[in-house]
Amino acid sequence: MQEPYKLIGCTILLFGALSLFFSIFYEHTVLALIGLGLTFWGALTLYITTEKYVKEILLDSTLLPTLANMDKILTELGYQGKAVYLPPKYLKDPETSKVYIPKNKNTRLPTPEEIQQKEDKTFLKNPEVALITPPGISLSKLLEQTLGTTFTKVKLENLQKNLSKLFIEDLEIAENLEIQTKPTEAAQKVADTIHVKITNSIYKDLCKEARRLTHICGSIGCPICSAIACAIAKASGKPVTIEKTESTEDGKVIDAFYRIIEE
Amino acid sequence: MNFPLSFWDISLWLAVTAIILLITSELISPYYGKTNILINKKRLKNVSLTMGILFLITVAIRIYGIITST
Repeated sequence: MQEPYKLIGCTILLFGALSLFFSIFYEHTVLALIGLGLTFWGALTLYITTEKYVKEILLDSTLLPTLANMDKILTELGYQGKAVYLPPKYLKDPETSKVYIPKNKNTRLPTPEEIQQKEDKTFLKNPEVALITPPGISLSKLLEQTLGTTFTKVKLENLQKNLSKLFIEDLEIAENLEIQTKPTEAAQKVADTIHVKITNSIYKDLCKEARRLTHICGSIGCPICSAIACAIAKASGKPVTIEKTESTEDGKVIDAFYRIIEE
Repeated sequence: MNFPLSFWDISLWLAVTAIILLITSELISPYYGKTNILINKKRLKNVSLTMGILFLITVAIRIYGIITST
């Protein structure tokens, strides 16, 4: 696919170099200008290569069955608790992320030491909880890789700036991303509720489809909401839940509300 | 057997090229909506900024020349 571009680039570059050579030989100004232009645009064609793109529809086809399966398993096993995104201190490997889903709604969140002891298992007993890898972990790691640092080193206040740049400019995941933090009355708390508004994301169709999956939409979250939850949990160092997600009928605007749990 | 363009010709060429590239880079920026141009936008932005900086360097040389000649 990229070969014709390389061939065109090389040809332009060659003609440019020849033109420059003859301009020096004959001391011809027009030839020199043509040569400069051709050499520059030839080099530019070689440097600015095309990127490999895949169709948006492939995202939905590959991701939806996995999410539907996860939802079905959790529904059949009777898990009713709210999914909690655990911060790095709860895990042996601080670079990874896990979601803690209790079977009963009123199960309290255990201490980091308790979770670290049983971290390798997916379904834990006493209390009955599921400790699963979030669907947005890979996206979250890609965001960190593109950012050049981990979210654990990013302050919560700076997360909006970093995520907006990553989502809009670097990875072109969405057209716009806004993060609003709602401060609480207690002075020691940085933020309690975080509202993320995502406009025209590449996952809009997936989000629309995932709305009927009760454990996914509004609990674990679709890959994009899940990746943001992983980022917030790492940046704040506190457990995070997805309170609710709302989207417009066409799925273009997604509003996700996150809550940081004070331990 | 001399290169027929002067330093100022190159400066002007750099200015024109930088303007074209900077405008193109800004027009296809993801901040103004998704475009269907499948090129590496980051690299285009880097090239346009480099050209702009190179032009500014030629301007700085010109200013330095004016200051030192007086």
